[in-house]
Amino acid sequence: MTNILDDYALMSPLRHRNNWLKLAIVLFGLLVGVSSTSPITPFFIALCMSFTTIVLGRAPFKLYLKLLLAPLGFAITGVIIIAFFSGSGHELLSFELIGYPLSVKADGLELALLVLSRSLSGMCCLYFLSLTTPMIELFAVLKATRLPESVIELSMLIYRYIFVFLDMALSIRYAQTVRLGYSNFRRSIHSMGMLGSTLFIRTWEQGDKLFLAMNSRCYDGKMTLFEVHRPLRATELVLTFAYFLSTVILFYFTKNISIV
Amino acid sequence: MIILETRSLKYTYPDGTSAIQDLNIEIKKGKKVAFVGQNGSGKSTLFLLLNGTLKPEEGEVLFHGAPFKYDSKSLREIRKSVGIVFQNSDDQIFAPTVYQDIAFGPANLGYSKERVDACVQHALEHVGLSRLKDKPPHHLSGGQKKRVAIAGVMAMEPEVIILDEPLSNLDPMGADEIMDLLHEFNHFGSTIIISTHDVDLAYRWSDYVFLMSNSKLIGQGTPAEIFREQELLKKAGLRQPTTLEIYHEIERRGLAYGRSSPKTIPELVNTLKPLDLMWVDVPPKVKEGDSLNLGVMYGEYATQSPYEAINASVLHIHPNGRAIVELKRKGIKAGGVLLYDTDNYSLEEIRQILNEGEMVFVGAMGKKSKNLVEQDGIHLDVTSGVIDKSILMALCGKRCLILTAGGMVDHALKRIREYVEKSGIEFTVGVVNREEGCKWLEEADESPEMLKL
Repeated sequence: MTNILDDYALMSPLRHRNNWLKLAIVLFGLLVGVSSTSPITPFFIALCMSFTTIVLGRAPFKLYLKLLLAPLGFAITGVIIIAFFSGSGHELLSFELIGYPLSVKADGLELALLVLSRSLSGMCCLYFLSLTTPMIELFAVLKATRLPESVIELSMLIYRYIFVFLDMALSIRYAQTVRLGYSNFRRSIHSMGMLGSTLFIRTWEQGDKLFLAMNSRCYDGKMTLFEVHRPLRATELVLTFAYFLSTVILFYFTKNISIV
Repeated sequence: MIILETRSLKYTYPDGTSAIQDLNIEIKKGKKVAFVGQNGSGKSTLFLLLNGTLKPEEGEVLFHGAPFKYDSKSLREIRKSVGIVFQNSDDQIFAPTVYQDIAFGPANLGYSKERVDACVQHALEHVGLSRLKDKPPHHLSGGQKKRVAIAGVMAMEPEVIILDEPLSNLDPMGADEIMDLLHEFNHFGSTIIISTHDVDLAYRWSDYVFLMSNSKLIGQGTPAEIFREQELLKKAGLRQPTTLEIYHEIERRGLAYGRSSPKTIPELVNTLKPLDLMWVDVPPKVKEGDSLNLGVMYGEYATQSPYEAINASVLHIHPNGRAIVELKRKGIKAGGVLLYDTDNYSLEEIRQILNEGEMVFVGAMGKKSKNLVEQDGIHLDVTSGVIDKSILMALCGKRCLILTAGGMVDHALKRIREYVEKSGIEFTVGVVNREEGCKWLEEADESPEMLKL
């Protein structure tokens, strides 16, 4: 059963690496990507992150492309608009659309590419995190950020029960479908409402049961979170350092380069 | 020794439905107890009362002879000692990973981090889930979830483990594994209480049965006593266990004899053999009722094993000097069941036993042992109902090896020895890699006549 990102993250071999290292890599990528003035560095970051996610993290290539396509669609639309409507300098391309002159100028293209590369690198960094680090690994990180205990406990319980209620909702929906609950629009609305109300009541009952279950194991108002210790390995450190270094060097040497 | 006791217990739900009425029970330490009754007969409510979760309206619950107190400190003590496993594992498992869920109980007891870790590892190993410790519960199968729930309770090392319908929604293999686990806990001294409406399970598994109906206790006793009473069962809305029903049918047709209550298939099969009668010439001085030693027989006279020592008791002497005798056979060098303790596991040793001991049938009990030998590529003929199937094979003159560990070894040994004693059909049983060694291997090369009868 793999249908959400968390499932892929759970199966990824990178799941068992140090969370802080992964977070550092992501943060570094985001910051450098955003502050870069040429599109080359962000593209490099995107490439490295994609490579790590797909090859080292064993994320399915097709899935990864699909995931990228969704936000990339928005980015490209925006980029096209930027390319046509901003900037100055010499014209690279111009034509008329229904009597209205459209042209791409050098500056505009440069800016468009930069925006595209920055958003791509950001996406790749975030996908690296979400495809290699499941939620259950992040609870320990949350704890270290000194969030209130109760927030972390709640988030742990919520995480667990999302799946219980997801299952429940799916089976209720199935039961409604086989009895033609979604055969036309009116009925669909009605069935949907019933599903919602049933789920609400079930969550209430589940809360009672949860309290019972916790109580019968001596719950004293505190849920201890056990962190799994994941030591940093030398190879990881060397690889990360090499990546950081090459990115910084690239960043430095491409800061005044324009590619158009 | 009585560990849990209730005195005129009464509980009514807030909406006025009565759940428990005037209940007096005593549960002895180290027993396997089953509460049997239809759905809604009050079993689950009783369990919540036994664990201090619900407070009785009248009457009291006693643990080790002391009545429950309902302040938070005493409740903690009770809940540490009386663990409860709910029917639906999803109600019980609430932490995001298996490890964290099992660690929840020990952590609440205020153990140090190292001790919690030790408890969790031990529990995980016991239920055979060490490899899944970092998984989230929604990635587990029903049987695995049940085992996590059991491990979560076990990690607190309770004296009594209560399981509400432990086998509901499990496939047969999963069910067998859970039952094996429960046998093992029981062997290490835990008192196990289950509720079920599966009469076959209660009959086969338990030492003592409480029959519940409409929030009242309507009968209690050993399974053999309780399930013989057809009227009582009807009142409880239950039917007879299958093996017992089959046995009664064959008994009514005169095909089986002896008023016994077979629990397992080997026991049932054993009741099937008709009275073994034979015409023999007897010496003149023999009287009716005497017993004769007919010596060792083989070939077509030996029906149960290659060689048999036969004693006969004289039932009737005909005037012409011939007599009708009832034969009592004792098999020699029949098959046998050999147990191997996988706590001291060595692949070479097992291969040697398999080759030299002419084992034709290999089984494994317990998740840990199964995983261990399957890793090493040893073919297992059977992984569920292992003891019963091995006895059946041994009865057919085959030799079986059961690979198992810890308390299960003693449990299996006890079960098989009991069978040998009860049935009178002799076959060898032993544990191969323990200090006392195994008689059988030493005798294997000798001729059957040399064996002590």
